[in-house]
Amino acid sequence: MSFTHLHVSTAFSAHYGVSWPEELAMAAAADGATALACTDRDGLYGTIKHLKACMAAGIDPIVGVDLAVFDDDGDHRTQVAGRVVVLARGHNNGAGYRALCRLVSDAHARTSGKAGGAVPAAVTRAELASRTLDPQTLKPVLTVLLGPDSDVGRAMGGRRYLRPRTLFKQWLDAMPAGTVVAEIVSQLSAPGTPFSTAHAVRLLRLAEEHHVPAILTNAVRYCAADGAPTADVLDSARTLKSLPELAGEPLLQPTGQGWLKTPEQMLGLGREIISAAGYGAADLKQLMAQTEALADLCRIDPTTDMGWKQPVVPEASVIGISQDPHAELIQRCHAGIGRRFPGISGKAGQEMLARLEHELGIIQNLGFSSYFLTVAEVSRMIQDMGVRAAARGSGASSLVNYLIDVSHVNPLQHDLIFERFLSNDRATLPDIDIDVESAERHNVYRRIFERFGSERVTLMSMQNGYRARGAVRDAGLALGMDDGEVGEIAKQLWRFSARKFREALQEKPELREFAGRVEQRDADGNQQLDLLVDLTERLDRLPRHISMHPCGVILGDASLLDRTPVQPSGLGLPMSQFDKHDMDPMGMLKLDVLGVRMQSAMAFAVREIIRIHPTKKDVVAAGKHPPGPDGTGPDYIAGDGRIDLNAVPLDDEATYELIRSTHTLGCFQIESPGQRELIGKMAPREFNDLIIDISLFRPGPMKSDMVRPFLEHRHGFAPEVYPHPDLKPVLQETHGVTVFHEQILKTLDIMTGCGLAKADEFRRALSNEAGEAQVEEYFRRNAKTKGYGPEVVDKVWGTLKSFASFGFCKAHGAAFAVPTYQSAWLKTHHPEAFLAGLWEHDPGMYPKRLLVAEARRLGIPILPLDINRSKAEYQVERIGSGNDAGRLGIRLSLNGIYGLSAAELKRIVAGQPYDSLADLRTRSRLSKPSIRRLAQLGAFDSLHREAGGPANRADLVHHLQQLQTANGARKGVEVLEGQLSLPLGDIELRNIKPGLPAPTLVENVRAELDLMAVDVSTHLMESHRPLLEKLGVTTADKLLSLRNGTEVLVAGVRVATQTPPMRGGRRVVFISIDDGTGCVDSVFFHEAQESAGPLLFGTRLLLIRGTTRRTGPRGISLSASMAWDLSRAESLPFPASVQSAAEDGPHPLDGISRTLAITGFNG
Amino acid sequence: MGMFSESVDVVCSAAGQPEAVTWAGRSFTVCAEPVRWYERRQWWAEDSRAPLGSGPGVVDHEIWRVQVLAAGVGRPGGSGEPAGAEPLTLDLTRHIRSGRWRLLRIHDALRPKSA
Repeated sequence: MSFTHLHVSTAFSAHYGVSWPEELAMAAAADGATALACTDRDGLYGTIKHLKACMAAGIDPIVGVDLAVFDDDGDHRTQVAGRVVVLARGHNNGAGYRALCRLVSDAHARTSGKAGGAVPAAVTRAELASRTLDPQTLKPVLTVLLGPDSDVGRAMGGRRYLRPRTLFKQWLDAMPAGTVVAEIVSQLSAPGTPFSTAHAVRLLRLAEEHHVPAILTNAVRYCAADGAPTADVLDSARTLKSLPELAGEPLLQPTGQGWLKTPEQMLGLGREIISAAGYGAADLKQLMAQTEALADLCRIDPTTDMGWKQPVVPEASVIGISQDPHAELIQRCHAGIGRRFPGISGKAGQEMLARLEHELGIIQNLGFSSYFLTVAEVSRMIQDMGVRAAARGSGASSLVNYLIDVSHVNPLQHDLIFERFLSNDRATLPDIDIDVESAERHNVYRRIFERFGSERVTLMSMQNGYRARGAVRDAGLALGMDDGEVGEIAKQLWRFSARKFREALQEKPELREFAGRVEQRDADGNQQLDLLVDLTERLDRLPRHISMHPCGVILGDASLLDRTPVQPSGLGLPMSQFDKHDMDPMGMLKLDVLGVRMQSAMAFAVREIIRIHPTKKDVVAAGKHPPGPDGTGPDYIAGDGRIDLNAVPLDDEATYELIRSTHTLGCFQIESPGQRELIGKMAPREFNDLIIDISLFRPGPMKSDMVRPFLEHRHGFAPEVYPHPDLKPVLQETHGVTVFHEQILKTLDIMTGCGLAKADEFRRALSNEAGEAQVEEYFRRNAKTKGYGPEVVDKVWGTLKSFASFGFCKAHGAAFAVPTYQSAWLKTHHPEAFLAGLWEHDPGMYPKRLLVAEARRLGIPILPLDINRSKAEYQVERIGSGNDAGRLGIRLSLNGIYGLSAAELKRIVAGQPYDSLADLRTRSRLSKPSIRRLAQLGAFDSLHREAGGPANRADLVHHLQQLQTANGARKGVEVLEGQLSLPLGDIELRNIKPGLPAPTLVENVRAELDLMAVDVSTHLMESHRPLLEKLGVTTADKLLSLRNGTEVLVAGVRVATQTPPMRGGRRVVFISIDDGTGCVDSVFFHEAQESAGPLLFGTRLLLIRGTTRRTGPRGISLSASMAWDLSRAESLPFPASVQSAAEDGPHPLDGISRTLAITGFNG
Repeated sequence: MGMFSESVDVVCSAAGQPEAVTWAGRSFTVCAEPVRWYERRQWWAEDSRAPLGSGPGVVDHEIWRVQVLAAGVGRPGGSGEPAGAEPLTLDLTRHIRSGRWRLLRIHDALRPKSA
């Protein structure tokens, strides 16, 4: 006997279903089922996983949805009458699935895409009716199940007989013939209550009376009875009410019977209902038979109904081609040769053409030509928008991508292997990721929708599952625990999965106190904490909601919305209900369009360069660029001064000199303390060195000590060792150390002759144990056949085994190294524009004040805030007068001033310039506190100077403060709208009474830190200088001249704090401080941590004692032994005479609380 | 109707239906087709643990409503019946995990039922 469950919610019914599709499919198959439905609530969230699970379990999938239906008689926009299950019929070439997709999209069309919207996801009965018939054939393609949750079922309470009958007849009148069945469910609740046998009987009789087929389901929410308590907790999380509250209403599931019951149990249920209805054996047989008949009607063929694994790309006509896509691709590649390889010929030319031939052959064989053309089209479109874009990832391995301008990395130059990206053995659509300027990402999305049409594009979604913190919060809510108490517990939980909560209680020191309270329960009878742990574990990983994926965009043909349901995203653009795991099964082409702040910063810098230097000649002079072929400058600078960053050659010596200097703050990927140390040791000379550097600076290689032997070989301290001379060509670039995936592929190929495509399959297989055993067997056998000795084989296998899991794809490294080089190039040649871009887009890991300090270190003038010169963004400005006349400085932006609203900012900029405070007040309508803050920051200083008058900034602030407290009693001169203010200068400013002493530098810096979190007027350490000199502190710029192992004192403000996980379990803390001459990177090992104690994380200004560690020709860091809090003079271990110097005056950070913004750390 | 929570012994048929009840030392036989349903438990207040793998019976428990006659008494309405031989209606509950039976309610047959 077999029974098909037609109403099943999976865990992807967020906050409702308990069990994963795999568990359900396996359980159903084990019970002898030949098919299983997935009817998630409100969407097809679990449908593709269900398909996969059913195929794995060897049963037929059935797909459907559990959907709310608006009340025809109620408020049409918000009132829901009940829920129905809608199943797609199968084996109709997708007509059923298509209708289902469209119906689900209908249900979401009116929702806002934001949590807690007023409109629920629901369809009207008219929409439902119209979708049940195929628009072409007019045959029924959907079946609607009216069960206990429908308006009919919900009307069964009490002794009302007429109401359910009326409602049932309304359905029959509204729906096309043959599309409605009655869903009979008994979850064995008390007689006369919802989901009771008595109600099932009444619905069964109603169906009988109207000759509507009845089918049996169990409205499943969990695979086994054990899931019932989890379902209770999910009900609580969904309704935001505690279990005691829900029990009172009563809103909980009626019983715990909603599991995937066995065929025998379902037959028993059927028998119970039939006999309670007074029917006989024939009726029972009919109920069961009708259920199976509907199941048969709805069996889905994944291939013909849902397009399983069949890649779909936009139609050729949409991407603007009229011929065969492959012919078009060949043409475009050949057109790219002249651009990418000018003048190539001879052997190099032949090799290039052979590689192109090879790639095109594979692409044609897989039928992916249109895919490449589509990606090229998107890439071209983004560049036409004037937005910087670059391919990242393994896509950089492809010569085709290089020739059609998708990637900017020459795979031949860097010896990248196409098979790492695509091969005949790997028929899934490859991933091409495109990095764009972060500030333009949403515009790029919108443009893609416009370009391809909203019927072909949708955003990808992602599933957000429960992690430990959210799980403990919702478990606490369910138990009705105190918010504060649960919040305290939640704070302690991180970096472990909720499933391991009880285990973590035993192990984690930070949970010790809580664990103690859990054990206390016997003593004080408080069982809640123990339950809390159990319920938290139950919630682990269950999906909570979907949201827009941070970068995925799905592109398809005009049928896309027949293949995926969509709903509004928070951004307003439609979002698929499918996530990244569903893309490949559904043949969906997904592009990752990632927003990268560094790209925004670099684009900003390029725009600033043109603005300041509007001709090629100016740019060449300012950037000290080479004279180029005709003496007017290089080709990558256009006549109007626009620099084509992607065309800048990768061999600029000045750029490598900057990188080797380790003054790489602000440069992509190489600015962290660890990276600065590594580049100091490595001293990169060419682009390939950058690729290696980036690939080495990853947790795997760093932890497994690959870096030390590499550096020793590189600098010739130790001879390079190759396991076999045959491998020398493969490993030479990394001096015998295996770093790249590409090297693993080539090693496998050379030693076994397996071919590169197979080699990449092997590399993937190495990531799991079963695969590894197979690869090892193959490798040993074939390497032996090829004549490699057992020692060589052993040695190489050891390397393959350990490095395969964390080796790095060289193509990734190469794609990353491009912006690294470009950012360093900009910093070398146009530091003002580059730093302005960094301040504007804040791409890096450090607080902004460090990048301002970097400008100061470079001698770039930082121009103060000025009400008439500062704009809404940072700007490079040529200085008109004074000592720095003629030089370039960076003018501070009005953006990011504490308390200044976006609207005020907009009005200030729109109204510039202002000739008086009154003018400013009238036209920008600034609030009084905002005006006072601008005055504190010196934004009116130049206006004030022009107005004349004896007062200073302090007098002005005092004056404004008085106006503010006078609360409007003395308003400024009111000017009527449209009336021109006479150019009288500023009478108000001229007449301010002098009297107060001018603010000191320290006071100004303090105001800057307080209001902008940046020290502008001078470095905040400056006021500590006298003390530091007395203490004999060494500054960062002097460290390099010291011998290795010299004991020194250093002091500065914290700019970076890192505690990377370490092998062997002992924590190492890296703290970097900035003293105004540069960064000092210090490392605290265990003992130093013990002596520094709470100062390690709790202090902004640090005095550190340590010994120098030379890390390379240009690199030096500090091994700390002790640290003190510089702002607490009394704690410093020095003679009283020195201490009195420490107490000599105020310092900028006194009383300033913005620790996170200033130090990048909030310990 | 009286509310109880008193341990009783129940003998079931092969199909799992109660056939006989022993309550406070007195035996009763079930004299009509029993009715079975499930009712929710306040498990969050009654239980101290609910780990994964607890199995069934956390959320609900089984209720059987049975009509019983004291053992050794003939069919009601027969000759020579004592006045107290009316069948009693009992609600029994079986705790799913332990299998233990308790008497939950006695519906007083002598008084008219209110609902």
